[in-house]
Amino acid sequence: MSIQNETLKAMIRDYDGLELSDEELELVRPELETYFSELAKLESLDLSDMFSGRLTRLPEPDQS
Amino acid sequence: MPNLDFLKMTISELAPKIRNKEISPVELTEAALTEADRLQPKLNSFITLLHEQAMDQARESETALSRGDYRGPLHGIPIGLKDNLATAGITTTVGSKVLANHVPDEDAEVVIRCRDAGAIFIGKENLEEFAAGATSNNPHYGAVHNPWGLDHVPGGSSGGGGANVASGVTFASLGTDLGGSVRLPGTFCGVVGLKQTYGRVSQRGLMVTSFNGDHIGPMTRSVADSALLLQVLAGNDPLDPSSVPVPVPDYNSYLGKGLKGLKMGVPSNHFFDLLDEEVEAAVRGSVAALEELGAELLEVSLPAMEYIGAMRISAMADGVVTHEPYLKNHRESYGPDVLYRTIPGQFVLGKDYSKSLKVQRMIQEEYLRVMHQVDFLVTPTAPVPAPRIDATHVNINGEDHRVRGPGSGFISRNTSPLNAVGLPAISVPCGVNHAGLPIGVQFITAPFEEGLLFQVADSYEKTSPSQRLRPEISVGV
Repeated sequence: MSIQNETLKAMIRDYDGLELSDEELELVRPELETYFSELAKLESLDLSDMFSGRLTRLPEPDQS
Repeated sequence: MPNLDFLKMTISELAPKIRNKEISPVELTEAALTEADRLQPKLNSFITLLHEQAMDQARESETALSRGDYRGPLHGIPIGLKDNLATAGITTTVGSKVLANHVPDEDAEVVIRCRDAGAIFIGKENLEEFAAGATSNNPHYGAVHNPWGLDHVPGGSSGGGGANVASGVTFASLGTDLGGSVRLPGTFCGVVGLKQTYGRVSQRGLMVTSFNGDHIGPMTRSVADSALLLQVLAGNDPLDPSSVPVPVPDYNSYLGKGLKGLKMGVPSNHFFDLLDEEVEAAVRGSVAALEELGAELLEVSLPAMEYIGAMRISAMADGVVTHEPYLKNHRESYGPDVLYRTIPGQFVLGKDYSKSLKVQRMIQEEYLRVMHQVDFLVTPTAPVPAPRIDATHVNINGEDHRVRGPGSGFISRNTSPLNAVGLPAISVPCGVNHAGLPIGVQFITAPFEEGLLFQVADSYEKTSPSQRLRPEISVGV
């Protein structure tokens, strides 16, 4: 997956008003490419059976 | 003035001498500060040295001793604090220009615990900008240099602490570990680095941190000292919802127990896949040594590690949220590595973030299954010895891997998975490469089994080829 420079600039501007040069855009690309490549690995992964890992505990006063 | 040889001791060796008044905390602190001043131009390991505060603490410590108020093995021991741990009334920069003048009102919980245990804080230690990287090559405060080779990184992000413990300036340093930031300075600087179970130690007062997976842990000169530090740091903090109310055992009681009857798991995938040859040889040597000591070797498989990269997705989103308040108004104060690595986090979609949390759960469950088959795991801590400070990439098997800035993550590929799953892990020195740079082996146990972790690490440490090795740049040299 690839994002055009103009799209990328508009998205960044929308976030915090930063104007980045084309040269700077190239500097953010490696991290974006990491994101896309990791996403691609998940495409065929079935995660429907995964349950939440959140735990809620009440404090146990004698345990510290 | 005490003999500088005292600065080369471990806390476990020194503490009885302080208790018996053979060594004065005041003289010890003076010596540590003098050596810190002398080595600072070479190592650049501190952002702030605390001469006055440390000497005040040392005098108070000596007075307490004279009235019989001994507070335990940290009493009168000079240590360092990473500069992202809040210290009341003392500048805490987080290695950033944005917070260059920030002075917290309150101490971090770990600072309170160490102070109450009698430790003396000699300085706030240099780190990667915002603790976001593995090199400690800080654009605002300068690069930290590795005492084993000044042209090499000390690891990061807690690089100042690693350099100080290795060189003998501090007896221990508190670092923080979101992806390996205690264990990597541990391996690159030839010291012991501990990341305990998530929830074992309070994170309150750890500044500009991620929502998911950060830990405060010690770097020390021995496994016994690591156990001693965790004894002080561990325990529930009612004001930190991430800390867990479980009992804290006597860690010292696990030392010297040996390995007979324990099952040692060596992963068949991921951890040994991309390695420098000398690192692999050193860690395979450690595995053989552990077998000699009585551990039973079992190969284990962790197939879900194929998806561990998904943790980068949630980390990107967490990172941009963490930095949002600062980025909006201080973009020009950021160094390029952190800036261009953080900004892409805004593009992470909610559905992808949610997916990455499910992957995290899947990998956690796999580790827990494996930890029912074995007592501990053995892996290399880092895939390479310390890269050069000016390196942007390292080459393994003909392929370049980034070591800093956007798209990097190679150096932490063996440490960051343990942050995702929350298991305790410790890095112990296991030799040096042809250039004399340290190599580390990582041990991992089940959640809240730090006692067993120390048992394994302590047994191995006594046979490690790193015993008695010291860096070229150190106290008295």
